[in-house]
Amino acid sequence: MKREEGRAIPLKIGRKTWIALIGAVILLVFPLFIRSPTFLQFMILILWYAYLTTSWNLVGGFAGVLPLGHAAFAGIGAYISSVLFIHYGLTPWVGMFAGAFLAAIVGVIIGTPTFKLRGAYFALATIAICEALRVILENTQKFLGFDINGARGILLPLKGHSPINYQFLDKRYFYYVILVMLAIIFYITYRIARSKLGYYLMAGGEEKEAAEALGINVAKCKLIAMAISTFFTALGGTFYMQLVHYIYPRGIVSLDLSFEIAFIAIIGGRGTLLGPIVGAVLLVPAAELTRTYLGGSYEGVHLMLYGAVLVAVMVFKPRGLMEPLEAFYRWALGKFSLQPLMQTDRGE
Amino acid sequence: MNLLELREISKSFGGLKAVANLDLTISQGEIVGMIGPNGAGKTTVFNLITGLHFPDRGDVHFNGEKTTRLKPYDLCLKGIGRTFQIVKPFGTKSVIRNVMVGAFCRVKTAQEAEEVAREVLDFTGLYPKRDMLAKSLTIADRKRLELARALATRPKLLLLDEVMAGLTPKETDDMISLVRKIRDQGITPFIIEHVMQAVMALSERVVLLHHGEKIMEGMPQEVASDERAIKAYLGEEYVVARG
Repeated sequence: MKREEGRAIPLKIGRKTWIALIGAVILLVFPLFIRSPTFLQFMILILWYAYLTTSWNLVGGFAGVLPLGHAAFAGIGAYISSVLFIHYGLTPWVGMFAGAFLAAIVGVIIGTPTFKLRGAYFALATIAICEALRVILENTQKFLGFDINGARGILLPLKGHSPINYQFLDKRYFYYVILVMLAIIFYITYRIARSKLGYYLMAGGEEKEAAEALGINVAKCKLIAMAISTFFTALGGTFYMQLVHYIYPRGIVSLDLSFEIAFIAIIGGRGTLLGPIVGAVLLVPAAELTRTYLGGSYEGVHLMLYGAVLVAVMVFKPRGLMEPLEAFYRWALGKFSLQPLMQTDRGE
Repeated sequence: MNLLELREISKSFGGLKAVANLDLTISQGEIVGMIGPNGAGKTTVFNLITGLHFPDRGDVHFNGEKTTRLKPYDLCLKGIGRTFQIVKPFGTKSVIRNVMVGAFCRVKTAQEAEEVAREVLDFTGLYPKRDMLAKSLTIADRKRLELARALATRPKLLLLDEVMAGLTPKETDDMISLVRKIRDQGITPFIIEHVMQAVMALSERVVLLHHGEKIMEGMPQEVASDERAIKAYLGEEYVVARG
């Protein structure tokens, strides 16, 4: 029986590629038929959260630690690209990389001491750092000669429809930008998961001593993952700024965002490729709907919802929803007797 | 040539002297066994060799090179492999992926690592169980996996920390022949063992450790029948009573 399954693996990849292709076409085409900007905004947010969570997953999932301060890096990205745009007119398409590199450097600086901490202590340290950054931003009017206006935040000078300046009036452009960004980070994660680095992160996360005895510099691997993760998180921060045109410290460098990212990953399945996407597709609509309908009167209800779902998942499916979904996928393959089809796949 | 040389190494934990002035040499291709009662400092010696702890005094030389303060991962790259007494599998991953982690020590791509892993799994007899999750293995297979993972790093010296503990007699025999096979591959095994049957069958030389000190060294028969060994294991009273 085991052997049979082993032989079926290459076929399954073929099938998955087809599903991915069909999914990609649907994602690419459907905004052309959407008139409602609200709905489009909603889709953009799902993709944005999926993007941030996939970036987070490199550290929080594959490296087996629990960073709860990733909003800090999104904040760094948003602030740096915007400040460079306001003061030098530098297009955020370039400025976002300045922010991303800075975020990666900060990530490594933060990671160097904190990765030595175990479990909850690491999580607490990242929370503290994120909060510290927020407080600093809220109390700083000028930073290195750039106005950042403390708690009031910064407003992006609007240029109308100006693709060169990363500004679009039609939301569809943002939709495609974040879709491409998600595709890129997904592909990078996919490659890492199958590479030496991916194996080393997994090993270091599961059994540090055993990993080191097998020749793995665990700390270095985690720092590499941290640098990649924070780099892409910062790009996500710039995207958010371009989308909403306005940021203030509490709006982005917040524990709310940091926790949301971690919740989405945990509920979807930490350390799995599709977990962050599944989590975002499930949780973001729920959160947005509660925000829309209850937001005015009951602020924070969406976080309560997250909490409730998180508790339920932890109790019933502690390794996230990807596991039952994969089981369902296999069951469906058998149920609808797709076995003959799979054999034709092999013929090709 | 001496593959491994420990020169007067000492290590204390707080007030406890775990290893005291230990001298030891192992040459290429011989099987050395280290015995001693619980708490004698055997595992600490392994930890000092593999860089998990640094000695307070003394030096470790491996392959003609001073390696005293190198980190575990650097020592692995230089050719020191080890297993842990309390096995540490990557439990949620399959057997083959566990071994691939070790294989990446010498190769770059996942494809090459998988080839090495298949070879090692075949060698250790775990190949039929390659797709099982590591945590679902029996204790004997977990010990084997621990060994396979270390072998995949292509070590010159392989430290085996009680790989026979908790095995049935049949499994012990299998493990003994596996260790011999490993030696025949040109890898030098250095074993810590409580199972006397295994120590006797395998070792060409036995080192007896007690309270962190080497109290004797010699042929297995010699050490096992020596008064000092019996004292160390069974206590003074036993020797006196036997009179």
